Amino acid sequence: MSPGGIVVVAEHLRGELADITLEMLACGRELADASGSGLICVVLTSDPGPFKALPFASNKTIIVKDPILGAFNPEAYTKVLSHLLKDLSPRLVLMGSTSIGMDLAGSLSVALGATTVGNCTRIELEGGKVLVTSKLYGGKLTARSEVEQGMVLCVLMSGSYPKEGGTKNVVPEVEIRDSPVPLTGLRIQFRELVEPDAADVDLTKVPVLVGAGRGVQGADNVKALTELAELLGGAVCATRPVVDQGWLPRTRQVGRSGAIVKPRLYLALGISGAPEHVEGMKDSELIIAVNTDPDAPIFDVAQYGTTLDVQDLIPALTEKVKELKGGA
Amino acid sequence: MSSIVSSEVSAGPEMNVTQAFLSRLEKLPDGQKVRDCIQCGMCAGVCPHGYAMDYTPRRMIAALRAGRLDDLFRSDSIWLCVTCFNCSYRCPSGIPLAERLIPSLREELLMTGVGVPKELQTAFERTARYGNPFGESPKKRDAWIKEAGVKVRVLKEGDSADVLWHVGCFPSYNKANLKDTIALAKLLNVLDVDFGIMGSDEWCAGDLRCTAVGEEGLFNLLYEHNSLQLAGRSFKEVLVGDPHAYNALSREYARMGTAYHIRHYTQFLEERIPELSKLLKKKIDAKVTYHDSCCLGRKNEIYEAPRSLLETIPGVKLLEMPRNKENALCCGGGGGAMWLDSFIWERTRVPLPIQRVQEAARTGADILAVSCPLEIPRFEDAIKSSGLEGRLQVREISHMLADALGLVGGV
Amino acid sequence: MKVAVIIRQVPDVVEELVIAEDGRSLSEDDVMYITNELDDHALEQALILKGRHGAHVAAYGIGGSEARDALATSVAKGAEEAVYVPLEFKDRGDNHKLAMHLASLLRDGGFDLILSGMQAADQVDGSLGGLLASHLSMPYVGGLVGVDMPPGGGKATVKKEYPGGRIGVMDVTSPAVLGIQSSEQPPRYVPVSKVMQAKKTLQVKELKTPVPGVAGVHITQLQKPEAGARAKMLEGDEAKVAAGIAGLLKERGLL
Repeated sequence: MSPGGIVVVAEHLRGELADITLEMLACGRELADASGSGLICVVLTSDPGPFKALPFASNKTIIVKDPILGAFNPEAYTKVLSHLLKDLSPRLVLMGSTSIGMDLAGSLSVALGATTVGNCTRIELEGGKVLVTSKLYGGKLTARSEVEQGMVLCVLMSGSYPKEGGTKNVVPEVEIRDSPVPLTGLRIQFRELVEPDAADVDLTKVPVLVGAGRGVQGADNVKALTELAELLGGAVCATRPVVDQGWLPRTRQVGRSGAIVKPRLYLALGISGAPEHVEGMKDSELIIAVNTDPDAPIFDVAQYGTTLDVQDLIPALTEKVKELKGGA
Repeated sequence: MSSIVSSEVSAGPEMNVTQAFLSRLEKLPDGQKVRDCIQCGMCAGVCPHGYAMDYTPRRMIAALRAGRLDDLFRSDSIWLCVTCFNCSYRCPSGIPLAERLIPSLREELLMTGVGVPKELQTAFERTARYGNPFGESPKKRDAWIKEAGVKVRVLKEGDSADVLWHVGCFPSYNKANLKDTIALAKLLNVLDVDFGIMGSDEWCAGDLRCTAVGEEGLFNLLYEHNSLQLAGRSFKEVLVGDPHAYNALSREYARMGTAYHIRHYTQFLEERIPELSKLLKKKIDAKVTYHDSCCLGRKNEIYEAPRSLLETIPGVKLLEMPRNKENALCCGGGGGAMWLDSFIWERTRVPLPIQRVQEAARTGADILAVSCPLEIPRFEDAIKSSGLEGRLQVREISHMLADALGLVGGV
Repeated sequence: MKVAVIIRQVPDVVEELVIAEDGRSLSEDDVMYITNELDDHALEQALILKGRHGAHVAAYGIGGSEARDALATSVAKGAEEAVYVPLEFKDRGDNHKLAMHLASLLRDGGFDLILSGMQAADQVDGSLGGLLASHLSMPYVGGLVGVDMPPGGGKATVKKEYPGGRIGVMDVTSPAVLGIQSSEQPPRYVPVSKVMQAKKTLQVKELKTPVPGVAGVHITQLQKPEAGARAKMLEGDEAKVAAGIAGLLKERGLL
């Protein structure tokens, strides 16, 4: 790879490519075009089948094939990637801000002597410098940083780049390799992947979601939302903290580690808009947010909002909806 | 030292644990009266949740006498108490059931980390960190004064005023109560009272949530802070809007060595009825029934001041509920229960606030007047849940008075 | 079984974050601290292991004086050991530096597991756990919602969260560094009086080793996010806003 090149570390689960990979490719493509450098997409897997014909926007796709790489094993991935990346010597490596990318960034950073920047939303190359915009404090502050030289690992947040930019209309050159290093004597062994309980509602199929965040302040308040949700033909879902408190079962969690949903309507109630949750619902057709904090990051992703208290608004809204439905 | 634990019970580890608990209980003020229990069951009879408890206060004492503290811990009964003081008020032996027995049992559970309802835990953690159970920034405690429309002095260290108004957490932060806090500020202003608040230096007074739930440590933390802050200002008396703060500041703080001349706003304003009468501008034509809050009423026997204030308002016809004054039915929010509604309502029949608003509606009243900030959200929700919206309205006395004086708009 | 937990103090976002005059850091005077939420979960997970298998839990409190308070809380909750690692304000949020520093402090501790929250609100670079594990030549896996390790030691079984609510079960040979996403039960409550008691009797080992002089990410600017496409705010009281929202829904055929 020519110096100054860009590498995207692809993410996939059960043979399906994760959208974040395409977003990273969109980012990489933009930077590669601007700086005249090459873009490589690296896929670690046990079965190249699902990936070798994908029209990535990269100049090249390198698929590293090994049975151990079938499931995400951070130790195996780190071993392979540290060798591969030392070889390729890119300027910039993009990884996803996910349970996969975040596990790799730290160990690769030390192995490669690279600078790592987390929670990235925007990357630019200027006169040899890598300029990064990232989020801190759950989105409340934005940081801009500069890396003058050396390899940079950027952990990219979902929703920062359009995934459409990650593909083009041709399949790039594909190279399938074996692991550059034997994957034996690993201290982490992957045993099994457990699917979530199928019971309860499939949030991805419901047209209207009423999302409960910490601002809803209590289990019985959460119950009260069910009436509104049902009136609207939908279901109640929640952010991680609400689920962790036990106010709703885990099957109702929306966000990075829960369901990714795209309903026609998402009512965000008492939700601050931390990136982990926003990732799960930002593509909803209509987002209306209720939060007493006018600076809450949720208002960046919602189309409409109000700073009224959830406790006051929901009864009024429920009544109004009943009225309008009753008449129709 | 002899113990109430029956000598017939064979000495075993359970009995020792019970005895240890009892010796701690008996060191508290009036705690030793637990020995005088005659097992009459008056407490169980007057307890609004008695029917749902497998261990009513009477049975709790019986269990203790049998050396069976553990049985009490395995029961939910300890968390069904709403600290309405009915039991203590009626007990012929004067045992401080709601003030000492139940909190001591709860404290044991807290210390062992067993079964503390999560909502309460969150309220405690927030109070310990931010000085209020909502988890709002202490700096925002006096944000309400920007909307008061009248000057509200924030007293810094070294400042003085005739009256120091301890506003309270709900009146400062809770949106549903702000209009009433502002109403009181306007009343004080129009009466030319020289008053001030402590702003962000004021922390939660801690009663009953901490005292009744056994979070003595948290109560002490709040006490240390508040008494230090109060010592830094000079004033002749302390005014409180919240009956729980009234209870804490007048009883518990005095017990810990810091005594002030404390009045609830209804007492304070009652003394000024002649002046208030001259400033009346409006009638409020309504039938009004007054709910005696447990802390103000049964606990501290302040029954007349709120009624006198209501009768000062022209147009008001005062009606009494069957369960009034010392017989008033608790709104169900005391002793941490404000955060335990989910837990409690799963185990009881008709929620207390719903029973109460229905009782109020039966008197034919249009307005249910209250003098405790917790009652505003509780009764407003209950009115909606009982389908009484449009028939009955909850109003804080301060707001009604301010309305009658033309200082605020009606509701 | 010996478990170390890394507990960081981070700015509490309940208070407004004030940017210092240099435009690239927070104003230290305006910061109120709180224990990093995921580190609280890490501590809880360690205490769960203590409850199950009698593990010895050592809490490492990182930061300024508020870190000592956090150590008192950790001990009140059940940690046996409290170690204070002072870290100046300017060095915070830099996990590269912290990882290198902690590696030298933890290396000879004989720990079977080192737990930390997989993310911190103030971190600019990567997860602390991954960096720390590299320096210690230990395996690392993060995003965990469950950890168990039989008392004999040797191997931990962990549950890692994947998108879609899926759980990956893995075996990790110890000693290992683990990044916690959420403990198997919510962090326990400890009464204030217990914390007060712990504060009075607290024995803290203070590690005064100087922090390595490595530079992490060079921040050039810190700011509140740009307004960008913000939501259109609906004004008025509940009745008005409810009517507004209902109207929007009707327009879109959602009623």
